[in-house]
Amino acid sequence: MVATLLGILAQIEQAPFVRPAIDWHAVAPELVLLAGGALVTVFDLIFMERGRKYIPTLTGLTFLAALVPVLTLWDNGIARSLFDGAYITDRYALVLKALFLLSGYVIVLMSTNYMAEGDYYDSEYYQLISASILGMLVMASSRDLIGIFVALELISIPAYLMAAWRKRDLKSNEAGLKYMLMGVFASAIMLYGMSLLYGLTGDTKLRSISSAIADQGTTPIITMAIIFVIIGFGFKVSAVPFHTWAPDTYEGAPTPLTAFLAVASKAAGFVALMNVVLYAFEFQPEIAEPFIWLLSAATMTVGNLIAIRQTNVVRLLAYSGVAQAGYMLAPLAVYEVNGIEASASAVVTYLVIYAAMNLGAFAVIMAAARRTRSGEIDSYRGMLNWAPGLTVLMTIFLFSLAGIPPFGGWFAKFEVFRVLLTGNTFSGVSLAVIAAVNSVVAAFYYLNIMKNMWFMDAPEGTDQSKLKIPSPLVAALAITLIVTLVTGTVLAGPLRNATDFLAF
Amino acid sequence: MLLNQFLGLAAILFCIGVYGVLTRRNGVMVLMSIELILNAVNINLVAFGAYQGDVGGQVFALFVIAVAAAEVGVGLAIVLLIYRNRRSIDVSEADLLQG
Amino acid sequence: MSDFLREYLLVAIFGLMAFVLVGAFLGLASLIRPDRPSAGKIENYESGVDPIGSMWSQSQIRYYIFALLFVMFDVEAVFIFPWAVRLEAFGFFGLVEMVIFIFILALGLAYAWRKGVLRWA
Repeated sequence: MVATLLGILAQIEQAPFVRPAIDWHAVAPELVLLAGGALVTVFDLIFMERGRKYIPTLTGLTFLAALVPVLTLWDNGIARSLFDGAYITDRYALVLKALFLLSGYVIVLMSTNYMAEGDYYDSEYYQLISASILGMLVMASSRDLIGIFVALELISIPAYLMAAWRKRDLKSNEAGLKYMLMGVFASAIMLYGMSLLYGLTGDTKLRSISSAIADQGTTPIITMAIIFVIIGFGFKVSAVPFHTWAPDTYEGAPTPLTAFLAVASKAAGFVALMNVVLYAFEFQPEIAEPFIWLLSAATMTVGNLIAIRQTNVVRLLAYSGVAQAGYMLAPLAVYEVNGIEASASAVVTYLVIYAAMNLGAFAVIMAAARRTRSGEIDSYRGMLNWAPGLTVLMTIFLFSLAGIPPFGGWFAKFEVFRVLLTGNTFSGVSLAVIAAVNSVVAAFYYLNIMKNMWFMDAPEGTDQSKLKIPSPLVAALAITLIVTLVTGTVLAGPLRNATDFLAF
Repeated sequence: MLLNQFLGLAAILFCIGVYGVLTRRNGVMVLMSIELILNAVNINLVAFGAYQGDVGGQVFALFVIAVAAAEVGVGLAIVLLIYRNRRSIDVSEADLLQG
Repeated sequence: MSDFLREYLLVAIFGLMAFVLVGAFLGLASLIRPDRPSAGKIENYESGVDPIGSMWSQSQIRYYIFALLFVMFDVEAVFIFPWAVRLEAFGFFGLVEMVIFIFILALGLAYAWRKGVLRWA
């Protein structure tokens, strides 16, 4: 042992150091965001109280600035590979980076008034969001176990803090505690799986792991490693039976953060899952597919069944988000017959559209909460009278979530069903049937909210004057509305073709 | 090279950690159990790395150590917050929100 | 016997030597020193503080935040050690990398300082 270690040290000692070639353009989005986050921190430290009202704007601008190199890279079109294939910037990664930056921007818009008017107006909130989004950008490009692990923790650790943001509120404390304990436990399990993978294959790069496992064939210990890694990501995407933290955390956390967890954080979990399953376990579908099939079927069914019983809109959206995660998992259960590109395209399409419609629904809830001060569905009665615009918007987002044309949601569901049915395999078709039944069940509770808004009379003593919505929230609503509308109509055709770009 | 002994030790640590997370009701004890799992991971990584003559495992272990410190820092801060507000860190008493 | 076990045999011999030496010195000392036992001598030694009260004493909450800060910055040092081992080979490139790393750490310290976390009152 001692001799071996000395041998390794001697080896390192002799190897000449070669400076790794770094493609600065490829990592420009991350660098811009890192520099911007550092600048916001320095700005805050210099001006303290006086500078506070500029922090949200500065953070938003940082996200938009980081979007510029993403666009130039997309225009450039070449897939770039850094550090011997451990960090790859291809179009698949770029779509996801744009998604993360835009959802980050929308969440900053949603947070601006909520934080400024609340008791806990701290600039650190925005710095933590920047850090978390930075982790997501890294995650989109990581093709290496170490990169994926560090990115996942960079996403999660700020989120634990933000979930407990309302310091003196016991519910928020509890939300943070549950999320933190579950999340840390999940990442520990995932790490154990990763350490086994590393040991069995001798490399941390996903491509090398893939070919090494293919050479060795399937052994019980590889199966165990794969299952552990998928369980770890299952927590992050709140797949049943690892979803128990989600509704509690969603209800207790500040509402903009709930949107953040339900959309951005979940999307990042999916990206990690896709990268690992499709890159590293490409040749082990016989282990990964049945497990994901079970997760997917359980997630959509349980999520929907519990969502029906909810009386609080935030909890309802939380459980509906769990169910939506089930639809997103479905293409990963049939990647063998379709090829990994088709499955990845369907998931990415779903993620983008889901982000837009779910963020939109949360923005409506936040706008309505300025009047109702509660998230109960009953308090939405008669909303048509005091906020007709919001009622129409909520209807559009809910129709989209239910998958009714011509809004974005139907196209996302269409892509999933297409992938499930293409191979005409038993697992694909059975999962498609389960998903179809679940879509009908889901439509029921979405329509219930609409019934309350359109047809029920407002309870006695409700303020009937028109609701004023602050401009950042209007901007957030506008962005999400546009994306939800165009992805379902004019962009659906081009998107269908563009997903072929996503080829790894 | 004794690889199996290291892996066995790591597996035992892992099981103790998982048992602790599932049975302990004290927030700090849960965090300590998670630390046990992370240390099992580190033993695995370093043992595999040495066995294969590859430094990747040790680099991975360094990252795990650094990130674990950040996790525990945040975790203890949240547990302390709960203690300040309700004078108890019993996880089972945190039941205001019912999933 | 394998090479591996032989290396451990060396460790075992060292350990045994330690016990033998310490035992010999203590035994020798007990033969020549005066022997006057008193109550004060069998109390636990705790850095000069009288050991009174329960052993589960609570410490000041202020220590906690310093301990946390210490743990954070202390652990980050694991990234500096491998760099220091190969300092010369990395040259100027390595220096710039480490300056950036330490700048980000220093930003954290500056944050703690500016927000008044380091003040003891």
